[in-house]
Amino acid sequence: MPIDPRHVGRRYGPFRHTVSAERIRDFAVAVAGGVPGHFGAASGDPHPWSVDEGAAARSPYGALVAPPTFGVTFAMDPFALACADPEIGLNLVRLLHAEQEFEHGRVVRPGDVLTTTGEVVEVHSKGPLDFMTVRSETRNQAGELVLVGRWTAVIRN
Amino acid sequence: MKKLADFHVGETFEITRSADRYRPIYYAAVSGDFNPIHIDREVAQLAGFPDAILQGMCTMAWLADACTSYFGDPGRVRRLGVRFSRPVISGDTVTLRGRCVSVEGSVVRVEVEARNQRGEEVLKSAAAEAAFEE
Repeated sequence: MPIDPRHVGRRYGPFRHTVSAERIRDFAVAVAGGVPGHFGAASGDPHPWSVDEGAAARSPYGALVAPPTFGVTFAMDPFALACADPEIGLNLVRLLHAEQEFEHGRVVRPGDVLTTTGEVVEVHSKGPLDFMTVRSETRNQAGELVLVGRWTAVIRN
Repeated sequence: MKKLADFHVGETFEITRSADRYRPIYYAAVSGDFNPIHIDREVAQLAGFPDAILQGMCTMAWLADACTSYFGDPGRVRRLGVRFSRPVISGDTVTLRGRCVSVEGSVVRVEVEARNQRGEEVLKSAAAEAAFEE
């Protein structure tokens, strides 16, 4: 069943997240094939500036920097809530993540306090497939733009 | 640290990553995406898949790792985009092969192909841009 276009413009947030060094490191380690937490050596090769505080201290950033898709930890709330919003009524068992775009502003570092808002910006159908796109916008404690995300779900009817 | 002059159209890079059985669970822990389709085989089967499927965002994180290995700096990425064309199933191995397609102004653009161990594309339109100083 096509998604009712009246849901376009539905807003979520603001959501606030404080970034920690541990969260950045665990994320980079798990993505690179390791185990997050105390056993966290990655089998792959996470970038040292996201996992090694010594290397990061000598980098131009002076501290750990988040990998480019770390936004999933602080900017996904509007998308997740829209997908589960009873007013929109998507069938979660038939739902998959279809497309994702990020535009990056300022780098994300430990201690950053990030505020994200989001909005349903598009719904459309293609045959048996229904699509919904949520745009998220995240700013840091200085009000600087950190990340714009376009999160698209597909519901396979 | 790389500078703009260090990038040339046609350069290639490659990484391989495994969706081992625990990967969706570890990724759920670090991302917060605990959708049961990623961690519960029965729910995944209800949705028509043979086993738990990896979060698309984890495959995208692999894409970012591949690009970062080439760019040399995770803080330089300005844009990252992807279409999830086929689910990565628990047990799959994904090889990501990238190529520098343009160096214009201060922006380096790469396009990446991602295939599972059967040679099937799991991502489409995967691309990244990074900005560098002269």
